[in-house]
This record gives sequence, structure tokens and C-alpha cells, in this order.
Amino acid sequence: MMNRITIFWKLGAAFIILFLINLLILEGIHSLDLPSTVRTVLAMVSLVLLAGFGAYGFVRLYVKLPVEQLLAGMQHLADGEYDFRLEEDEKAEFGPLASTFNEMADMLTSSLTELKRNRDYLESIFESSADLIITVNASGNILTINTGTVNALGYKPMEIAGKPIDILFANPDEKDVAVQKLRFSENVINYETIFLTKNKEERNILFTLTRLRNSTGAVIGTIGIGKDVTEEKHLQMKLIQSQRLAAIGEVFTGIQHSMKNMLNACKGGAYMVRTGLKKDDREMLTDGWRMVEEGIYRMTAMSMDMLKYVKEWKPRVEESRIEKILLDIEQVIGQTAKDKGVVFGVDVPTDLPSVVCDPKMIHSAIMDIVSNAIDACLWKDYKQGEILEVKLSASTSPEGDMIIIKVKDNGCGMSKSVQENIFTPFFSTKSKAGTGLGLSITSRMIDAHGGKIDVESEVDKGTEFRISIPVEASGRNKEIDYGKKSLSS
Amino acid sequence: MGKKVLVVDDDENTRKFLSTALAENGYEPVTAENGKVGLEMIQSEKPALVLLDVMMPKKTGFVLFKQLRREEEYKDIPVIMLTGVAEVLEDLDSQSGDTHERPYDALREKMRQAIKEMKEEGLVRPDMFIDKPIDPDLVIAKVKELIG
Repeated sequence: MMNRITIFWKLGAAFIILFLINLLILEGIHSLDLPSTVRTVLAMVSLVLLAGFGAYGFVRLYVKLPVEQLLAGMQHLADGEYDFRLEEDEKAEFGPLASTFNEMADMLTSSLTELKRNRDYLESIFESSADLIITVNASGNILTINTGTVNALGYKPMEIAGKPIDILFANPDEKDVAVQKLRFSENVINYETIFLTKNKEERNILFTLTRLRNSTGAVIGTIGIGKDVTEEKHLQMKLIQSQRLAAIGEVFTGIQHSMKNMLNACKGGAYMVRTGLKKDDREMLTDGWRMVEEGIYRMTAMSMDMLKYVKEWKPRVEESRIEKILLDIEQVIGQTAKDKGVVFGVDVPTDLPSVVCDPKMIHSAIMDIVSNAIDACLWKDYKQGEILEVKLSASTSPEGDMIIIKVKDNGCGMSKSVQENIFTPFFSTKSKAGTGLGLSITSRMIDAHGGKIDVESEVDKGTEFRISIPVEASGRNKEIDYGKKSLSS
Repeated sequence: MGKKVLVVDDDENTRKFLSTALAENGYEPVTAENGKVGLEMIQSEKPALVLLDVMMPKKTGFVLFKQLRREEEYKDIPVIMLTGVAEVLEDLDSQSGDTHERPYDALREKMRQAIKEMKEEGLVRPDMFIDKPIDPDLVIAKVKELIG
């Protein structure tokens, strides 16, 4: 604006000087001894010159100068001086133009500030993220990596920009897998792969891959946001390892518990055999040898049960009559129960529907539960006159689709914590009898039929086992095949 | 006849071979097949020592043992318990806070509780337990140590 004021005064001064000169000229012309016509012409010429000079001054001051200033302002903006503003003179003809220019410059500045803020924000996310953020162009070359990637992989951005992404994969085939996945989807979530650091160390990275597209929708590359899960993976492996060890420990504890009772018979028997031989006492020797044999027999049974437990249970189903199975059990175990002082009763209605099941398996399962029930009676200290009782009964469910077999005893019962664990292998409260696998095998047999076992028990009151078996064979047990053993001797 | 030793165990084999071993070493064995009969035998036979199993029908070994220790007449009868509790005793001594749930914890906890109570009452001696499989020679050695 300095210019404008200076020019204004210069022009003003020039105008006054010219006006005075003109006056002098007019005066001079007037005093000249010339014809009046010539004097008039000269006066007119000097007036025209003065007016012309005045017009030039006006145009220069009010048109050319503001346009030049506007142009200069635009040049400032074009040069990146976004804080440049024109002086606004409301009285001047170009005042509104300057104010419009300034408004435009204000808008431009605020848009640019906003843009910069957004860019800084995105950049700070990109840079400060501890996750790995890698962008790759459409031909698979690395465009950018953030600090998270630098920290995890040890490469500097400059070292790696422009290089193919393949160099980061421990197994380059895995890159093709990722590419393949992205072919069918915009995103690949939880894509786990192994990257190599600059020092060739392997890191497990869990990526989310997303296609990058331009405004027209064309694919311009891929962005991968990943997390270094190497430590987690390591801990997870350790946890699995320790869980596996704990599970093995449980099994070993159970086996050891069962075995030491079997070995007890062998050890005691061996002592008697030794003493019998020394004393030439045939009776003692026979007793001892029987004990050793019993121990061997029980260990054999346990090893068979272990095989049975791990095998794949596929019932060999046929149309079976549950009442026949229950009456068979009564025949087999009735006398044993009687010998032990237990009253064993069977209650089966004659109109039970026939069941598609493996009769041998169901027989064996119910037999195991009945034997347990008889044992439970022997463990209880009954009151005078109380009867030791086991009842076996069967009925149809209200819907008619299941047969429910109940084994009820009034024996020693079980605490809640024991009830919760009775189907766990080697969990046995009877330390001397059985293999510790009976109920766990029974439950697997019933499970293979699509049935279930429920138990209700109270300490010193008794226990009731309820076995439900579907009348029709369920889909899973229709195969007439025992299947192959998953463990062989 | 020698001193009377009562064997209380529901396992017939154990009763038999321990009786044989005791008789071979000059003791007079008497037997009971459960805790309830065991108590009756103690009252009627007045044994010099009791070999006592733990997991038994009707009355467990721990219950019978505590009952004996509370009665003036029987509180001094030496008892050898036929069970392995080394682990439980160790656990009680170190009071390790093992919170890991295992299926066998129910049984272990029951035994732990029983031994803890016995320990608090000053009834537990670490050498009064013999684990299975029972070594008859070890039993005899312990019996000799206690009652000669």
C-alpha cells in the first residue's frame, strides 16, 4: 500500500505542478502577442494535456495498481505464503475485491490447516502404533513401514522401501496364500504368518490385510496391520505343554494308585510263597501263589480296560429287548448279591418297546453300575433291621422316545465332589477293587448310543443312576462296526 | 503266644499275608474286615498294636484312629496306618497354596483334612504310615520297633 500512497502524492504533486505550469503557460500565452485564435488553441492544448495526465493518474491509481496488487497477492498465495492478505480500503473502488480475495485466502488457509491436521493425525497413528503397518503397491513392492515395523523387524524404512514384500516372509509361499485369500475378499483377518527380521530371526505376526483402492476403485496396493505375537505364541505353547504334562500327571497318578493296590497282592503273595517254600508249607505256598495270580489278573484287567477306554466305541446295533438284558443281569449277579446280604430286585414292565442298541454293551454298562450299587451297600454301616437293597427297573420316557433304566441303592452314597468326578478315569473311592475305569467306560458306552447317565446321591442315604437310551438308534451309532482300535497292544 | 497285633483291612489278601508275617515273627495276629469290627476287636482282644487300613467300608481308618485316641483306655495303643500320606504330610507342612483343580482333589482333600485334624491334635507321627504295596518285612520291622 506504500506504493499507492506514494503514487497518490506524486501524482497530486505532479498535477499541482502541471496545473501551475499550465497557469504559467496560460499566462505566458496570454501575454504573447499572438492572434487570439492561436492563444485559444494553445490554452486548449495545455488543458487537454492536463486532463490527460489527470486521467492517466486516475487509472494508474484506481485500476492498474489494485490489479497489480491482486496479482501480486495471488502470486504470494501461489508461492505458499498462505498468511498474505491485501489491505482492505472500503472507500476504494477495488476494496470489495480485496476483501473477497482475503476471504478466499482465509478459506484456503483453514482448509489447508485442516488438511495438515488430518495428515499429521494419520501420520501420528501410523508412526506411533506399536503394531506393524506395512503398505505395499499393486506389484507387491513395499511402499512404507512404520516405527512398529522398524522395531519388530529391525529394517529402516529407507532400506526396505521399494523391495518386494517376499523378503519379509520366512516361507515365501505364505505370501502367495495371502494374495490368494485377498483375491476373494477385501479383507483377510487374523492371517498368521512368520516374518524374518533383518537378523533372520523368526517372528510370528498376526495380520489383517486390506486392499487399498484409489478414488476410481482400482486396486493400488495392500495395507497390512499386524501384531507381533511371538511371545504369546511361545507362552501358549508352554501352557499347552504344561497342561499336557498336568494331564499326563493326572493319568499317571491314577494308574499308580490303581497299580499299587494290585502290586500289594503280588508283594504279599510273593512273601507268602517265599515263606511257604522256606518252611515247606504247601498251603501257605498255594495261598501266596493265588494272591500273586490275583494281582496279575487285575493288572491284566486294567490294561484291557485302558485299551477299552481309548478305543472308538461303535455299537453293533440290533433290535434288542431291554427286559431280557435286565433279567440276564439278575441271573448273573443275583446270587452274588444274595451272598453279600444284599436284596436285589428287578422291576421291568412287559410292554417296553424294543430298542435299537448293542445289547452286549448295554448289558456290560448296566452290570457295572449294579456291581457298584452292591458295593455301595457293603460300605454303609446299616442300622439294626435295615435291609441292604439294590433295585433295577426300566420304564419308557413320557415322550416314548427313550428307555430309562434306573439302578437305585440305599448304600453309602456319595458327596457332591465325588459325584462330579465319578466318570473320570482312575477316580475310584474303592481302593482295592476294580480297575478305576469302570464308570468312565460305562459312560462312554452309553454316550456311543446317544444316551446319557444321570446320578443323584446323598451320603449314607443311597444313590440312583438313571441311564437313558434312545429307542431308535441315533445317527452316530448306526454303523454295524466296532471300528478300529486307536491303540493297539 | 506272643503279643497280639490286630490287622484291620477290608482286603482279604492283606489280612492274610500280614497275619502270616506276624505269626512268622512270633506275634499273635487277629483280624477285622472293617473299622466297625475293628473297634469291637480292640475292645475284646486288647491288642498291643493295630495295623490299620484307611479306606474301608462302614468306618474308615481315620475315624477309628481318632476314636481310639480319644478314649483313655486305648489312647496309648500304637497304630501303624496302611496308607501313603507322605505327599499329604509334605503338603501340610509346606502349606503350599496349590489351587489347581484336579479330579482327585476331592479324595485328596478328604484325606488332607483328616490328617490335618489328626496333626492338630498331635496324633500324627510321620513314621506311623506304611504305603501300599505293603512290604511285610518293613511292617514287621516297625512292629518290633514299637512293641518289641
